[in-house]
Amino acid sequence: MSTTALTRTGTELRRAFTEARSGWSWRGWIAVAAVALAALVPFLSLPGVRVDGLANTVYLAVAATGLGLTVGGAGLPSLGQGAFLAVGGFTSALLMAREGWPLEPAALAGAAAAVVAALLSGGVVRLKPAFVAVSTWLLAWLVWLFLLAFPSVSGGSQGLIVPERNLLGLAATPTVHFEVALALLVLSAVGIAAVRRSAAGLELSALRQAPPLATSLGVRLGRRRLGAFVASAFIAGLSGGLAVQLASVADPAAYDPFLSFKLLVAVLLGGAAATLGPAVGIAVLGLIGLLADPLARVLQLPLERFDTAVAAVLLLFVLALGGAGIIPWLEQLRPRAERRKRQVTVSYGDAEATGGPADTVLVAEGLRKAFGGVVALDGLSLELARGRTTALVGPNGSGKTTALRLLSGTEQADAGRVLLGGRDVSEASTHERVRLGLARTLQTTVAFAELTALESVLVGRSVRRRHGGAIRAALATPSSRAEERAAETAGLEALALVGLEREADTPAPELTSSQRRLVALAAALAAEPDVLLVDELAAGAGAEELEHLAGVVDRIRAGGVALLLVEHNLRLIRLVADRVIVLAAGRAVAEGPVAEIAETEVLRSAYLGAQRL
Amino acid sequence: MTIALQVLISGLAAGGVYGLFAAGHSLMYRLTGIVNFAFGDLVGLGIFATLLVLAGTSPVTQSGAHEPRFLGALIVGLVLCVAAGVATYVGIVQPYLARGSTIGWVAGTAAVAFAIRAVIGATFQRASYVFPDPLPFHRVGSAGFIRVAGAHVEARAFFVIGLALALALGSAWLLERTRFGRALRAVADDAEGARVVGVPVDLFVALAFGLVGALAMIAAIAAAPGEAVSANTGTLLGLKGLVAALAVRFGPPLRAFAAGLVLGVVEAGIANIHLGSWQLGPSYREVLPIAFVLLLIAAWPSREALEERE
Repeated sequence: MSTTALTRTGTELRRAFTEARSGWSWRGWIAVAAVALAALVPFLSLPGVRVDGLANTVYLAVAATGLGLTVGGAGLPSLGQGAFLAVGGFTSALLMAREGWPLEPAALAGAAAAVVAALLSGGVVRLKPAFVAVSTWLLAWLVWLFLLAFPSVSGGSQGLIVPERNLLGLAATPTVHFEVALALLVLSAVGIAAVRRSAAGLELSALRQAPPLATSLGVRLGRRRLGAFVASAFIAGLSGGLAVQLASVADPAAYDPFLSFKLLVAVLLGGAAATLGPAVGIAVLGLIGLLADPLARVLQLPLERFDTAVAAVLLLFVLALGGAGIIPWLEQLRPRAERRKRQVTVSYGDAEATGGPADTVLVAEGLRKAFGGVVALDGLSLELARGRTTALVGPNGSGKTTALRLLSGTEQADAGRVLLGGRDVSEASTHERVRLGLARTLQTTVAFAELTALESVLVGRSVRRRHGGAIRAALATPSSRAEERAAETAGLEALALVGLEREADTPAPELTSSQRRLVALAAALAAEPDVLLVDELAAGAGAEELEHLAGVVDRIRAGGVALLLVEHNLRLIRLVADRVIVLAAGRAVAEGPVAEIAETEVLRSAYLGAQRL
Repeated sequence: MTIALQVLISGLAAGGVYGLFAAGHSLMYRLTGIVNFAFGDLVGLGIFATLLVLAGTSPVTQSGAHEPRFLGALIVGLVLCVAAGVATYVGIVQPYLARGSTIGWVAGTAAVAFAIRAVIGATFQRASYVFPDPLPFHRVGSAGFIRVAGAHVEARAFFVIGLALALALGSAWLLERTRFGRALRAVADDAEGARVVGVPVDLFVALAFGLVGALAMIAAIAAAPGEAVSANTGTLLGLKGLVAALAVRFGPPLRAFAAGLVLGVVEAGIANIHLGSWQLGPSYREVLPIAFVLLLIAAWPSREALEERE
């Protein structure tokens, strides 16, 4: 058994090596060369460049790179990264100065303290961006005011003196610090790049671009964002914990909220979208600082104030140019690669014939929801069976969308329950319900602004992935890579099912609104649901499109999915639905086979209402 | 008991100023959905412009101001403060709102904040300044302190509390009764709708950004001679306003004002009150309320603060 494991590991390693080699390009060599050159800098004794200042700048770049994950990856406008640097720095300094700890464990303890701080304030990642900005700004002030108010902790205006230490067995000279900081920078950049390309990174990016759409596909907003926030705090805490020994003093004045702002400026200056952007931003700020020094002396201005103003003005300038940052600008200069054409050979056969015993998979009993005094849904019960299409119709405001929200868990019902495969999921979150096989599409045609059609579908697939976690992806474990390939195949299949396999690599915003609806449908399908709730699939569809949609719905049903269509288009309903439920004022007023219901007066009066001519 | 009264009155005086900053923050948020991180510093700019006109950058004595000159200086400061507020909206906030870029206005207003602080710091290089007092409070009671039910209270405190209340209620009346105020409330409810029915949204919102600064600045200047002012004064007042506004989730301005009053009293209480031998002391005055509000929003966010989910 161990031999098979060994052989498998060997095969996987060889495959990984081949893939890495085919993925390697001149850019890879440039990166390696740049790092090697940078590592030599302390030995060159450049004029006017001090190694300790340089090492400190690289530590800052590490913290900024971490912030890049929060800002660029998760889309959280954090004004508080400096707080984590301070927490890491002072924890480490206190442990070294008062408890006599060695540097490495002290710095790790600093990182752990930063993680604790991030977890304590981590609830804010669930908030709207404006609230995230305020909360992180307050965090930066809180830490600084704390350091000022408690000289017993922070050493007051002199700061805490940090004793000499060894780093990785060598005396911690500025040069050693520089090399360690550089290694840390490379490690965190590579790690963050891997995470951003992983399934978790795709989820983060989906959450950044369209939170409602991503959460409806079962992506866990709080968990994913918290992950990014905490990881970025860890990186800052570690670099703060190490940097404080380099400075040989932990000075509260160095951690005022401007530090957090400076880190954000670096991220935006270098480009939040690029992993290396923040480090480039720090480098630019450092260079400007070097040039600003003599200028400030000539103008006889206090240096630190001048630095602040320069950073602020620079940022305003970049923002005014509508800038995405330096690295994205450079990338725009490069001729864009041809969009690769994908050969798709996926067929979605009508595997299972319709008919057969239709087992019920979803039961809703007495669902009720009131908003204030308005009863939106008043005791709706329904059953959905595999391979059956049920249509939910009714005039605007009759409670159709509310019904979908209660079924999918975006709203909690006031009364009633939902059973999925016999299991009560009334209390379960959207994520949990999607995982158990209850997927849903939204009425809007909002698309993920920066994803292709296939990537959008893969967001829906993420709920089925078990090895897609950030750490596994960063290490590119065999299981995570195998899953990556399987997910792509499943995504293409789902696209093929809705007839959009040719658009797999088209950016989602370039799709027409009816194509976007189909992509959203494919994304929901990629979660391999047993039950699929579809909101207004045929809105605005022409006659030809309707035929196509009917075909798509029939193929999905043939795959054994229980479908619930909320639909205004009666033609589509006639084409595909087995049963119809007519809603009026939150109650089911009629239910039965399409042919039957279509003839009755109930449908007309409820559905057409006053519009009847 | 006398301590409690002293704490209450000095707390309300500080809180009245916080309250006007909080009300300004909440009004700006409700109008645009943004948080103006430069708010405190914009007011600080007005305060220091007043000081510059009054006395230059040299230190002054507290009673060195004559009334006409003070009035002129105050007007210069107010005009600058309003103009800077309007410019911040037009130059920084509005473009990014139109583009839908959150990071743009967050970083932009923060940049304005730090730029103003740098300018003030470079012009006024001492650690702190005494703000001249046009009103002869030092002649009231014994050197400006009066006895109320056994407690020594600064006479100025009553003036600040009264002024802050008058400003808050006055602007609430303005929002409620005037055409301008009603238009602003319409914008807060539905900016697009207001635009459609002919409200000059950008003009009115820009004016509102300027005027909330003027209100906060008047209160801050009324309180300023009580203690030393520095480049951090405006920043910290803006921060306190933000804490109070966040505590009520940027609710209606009057509620934010009330939260500011509470924050002032709580701070004074933390600094002064001891229960038996247990006392927190002044070190905790600034950090505890911020930590509390931060934990509150992290653990129990209200619905309106949560990210949209469909």
